[in-house]
Amino acid sequence: MGTYRMMSRTMPDIVVCVKQTVDVYQLKPHPETLAPQLSQAQWKNSDFDLNAVEEAVRIKEKSGGKVVVVSVGPEVKQLLVRECLAMGADEAYILSDPSLAQADGAATAKALAAVIKTASPKWDIILCGEASLDQNAYQTGPRLAEIFNVPHVSYVNKLEVGDRVLKAWRAVEDGVEVVSCSLPAVVTVGLEINTPRLPSLLMIRAAQKKPLKELSLNDVGLTKDDLMPRAETLEVKALKTERRRQVFEGKVEELAEKLAERIIAHMGGRR
Amino acid sequence: MKVLVAGEKPEQVITTANYAKSLNPAQVVAAAFKPFTENELAMLGGAGVEKLIHIPEKYLASGAAASAAALAELVKKLDPALVLIYASKKGVEICGRLAQRLDAAYASEAFAVEKGEKGFVAKRLVLGGGYVATVSLNSKPALASVKVSASETSQGMKPAVEEFDPGIDAPAVEVLETIKPEKTRVDLEKASLIVSVGRGFKKKEDLSLAEELAKLIGAEIGCSRPISGDLKWLEEERHIGLSGKRVRPNLYIALGISGQVQHLVGMRDSKTVIAVNIDPNAPMATESDYYFVADLYKILPLTIEILKKKLGS
Ligand SMILES: Cc1cc2nc3c(=O)[nH]c(=O)nc-3n(C[C@H](O)[C@H](O)[C@H](O)COP(=O)(O)OP(=O)(O)OC[C@H]3O[C@@H](n4cnc5c(N)ncnc54)[C@H](O)[C@@H]3O)c2cc1C
Repeated sequence: MGTYRMMSRTMPDIVVCVKQTVDVYQLKPHPETLAPQLSQAQWKNSDFDLNAVEEAVRIKEKSGGKVVVVSVGPEVKQLLVRECLAMGADEAYILSDPSLAQADGAATAKALAAVIKTASPKWDIILCGEASLDQNAYQTGPRLAEIFNVPHVSYVNKLEVGDRVLKAWRAVEDGVEVVSCSLPAVVTVGLEINTPRLPSLLMIRAAQKKPLKELSLNDVGLTKDDLMPRAETLEVKALKTERRRQVFEGKVEELAEKLAERIIAHMGGRR
Repeated sequence: MKVLVAGEKPEQVITTANYAKSLNPAQVVAAAFKPFTENELAMLGGAGVEKLIHIPEKYLASGAAASAAALAELVKKLDPALVLIYASKKGVEICGRLAQRLDAAYASEAFAVEKGEKGFVAKRLVLGGGYVATVSLNSKPALASVKVSASETSQGMKPAVEEFDPGIDAPAVEVLETIKPEKTRVDLEKASLIVSVGRGFKKKEDLSLAEELAKLIGAEIGCSRPISGDLKWLEEERHIGLSGKRVRPNLYIALGISGQVQHLVGMRDSKTVIAVNIDPNAPMATESDYYFVADLYKILPLTIEILKKKLGS
């Protein structure tokens, strides 16, 4: 690790892609149609993306450089983007267009790439969450890397940035792969990489003055047709589980007796 | 209709090929980076694969970009209607790049793929895992990374093996080292009894309560994500849910687990669910067959004593 730190002479320009999603924790399905009741839902920054912002800010604190937040979506909320600025990002660019409500991985990556090319063309690292809270698709990072024809490392839970090179620890099924690649590169991070900071009031206030720019499709050279999804969502429905839902309350001695009974009744032919 | 199946490891290619059979394709071709044993070749034949195309392992070794580039060349050559790649973590990142390269419609981590009216239709979990999205993939080829479980396999005629080296360059990632997990592997996916622990436990030492119960009934220990991820009380591979294992035991005993949607995805297919929780209104209540409103610190020692007597140990 020491060698990598000593080598860090570049001040990397880091772009962080942050998606705003419905808060799936609060989401309730419609009792009859089972469709998610999106219109009542709260919005938040996707969890993994906040890990990406945190990691970018930590790299900046160590090596200098700049952190640019990019967010695209049907209706990007400035207030949520300000949260990222309050965490320590320097500037933000957002692209809101209703056509992105149906976006698939391809459309999202295309929109992000167009904003990045316009707003921060000379980036060294693009950081993304490995997946989003709502779609859980694991596509954005790899797709961006393919668009820019650079290497990418996904599922990263530890990252070191050196001079034109990065070293990353990534969690795959076989264990942890320690990998290295040259910059520019795309990195996607998991929840384990860090704990995103909660900005202080002071940081929140300072963020009000940081540049936040709204771009239009035209500004980034895209048309609505460019954002047509290749994969089209036909339907979204809540999963229903059929359970007995028997609730036991009362004196703990009696409950323990019943719990033991249930366990024995359902443990099968073991022992 | 021609289907191309691929995967990081031979057994994953076999699983994917077996799954592809359900679509009644005219032809299934498999692609793999790793060499197959004779037995694996027979299994692949049993899954209905006529031809295995071996792409040099160096592509897989230099990362997702090179793997995707090589597969893209193969797809252009074979012109399949559908490409299915097993959704291991590497499989998913390769498929993402491949979809971008081919400008193809792509569904990641699909648990089902069917023939639709216009093209193929994939089903996948979204919104924390509590919802199923049905996604139409109308491009040729259509792409899906599939998270399907292994089905019964049988041996068949060994497919012909062909080499394919497209000689293509791509941005590389170098693997310096692979750190294997220390502990012996647990196979929670195959466990028939699971005792699962959550943040209702206050200290690591207290997990001994759950461990004693598990030992008594012959269960494996599983956990919610905070227990392995944030607190590191248990190994990562014991964590159940969206970002962990999907289990389907006969009996799942959830101790001090609230039942957030990301956890539920991982245990929803359990046959019977018993939960212990101090909160009568935790989401787990509606996801359980038997829900015990109790302090686990009080009920577990008593239950363990009763079980010891009844099970005679
Ligand atoms: C992108 C993403 C992916 C995730 N993936 C997963 C995943 O794969 N798996 C997963 O599990 N989580 C996952 N999570 C986290 C998930 O949202 C929840 O935070 C987590 O499941 C909660 O774990 P828990 O139930 O142990 O803790 P809590 O939600 O804190 O629940 C603890 C429960 O214990 C009960 N309790 C407290 N004291 C006692 C007592 N003395 N006796 C009995 N009961 C008691 C409480 O009433 C409470 O219901 C993910 C989150 C995100 C954002």
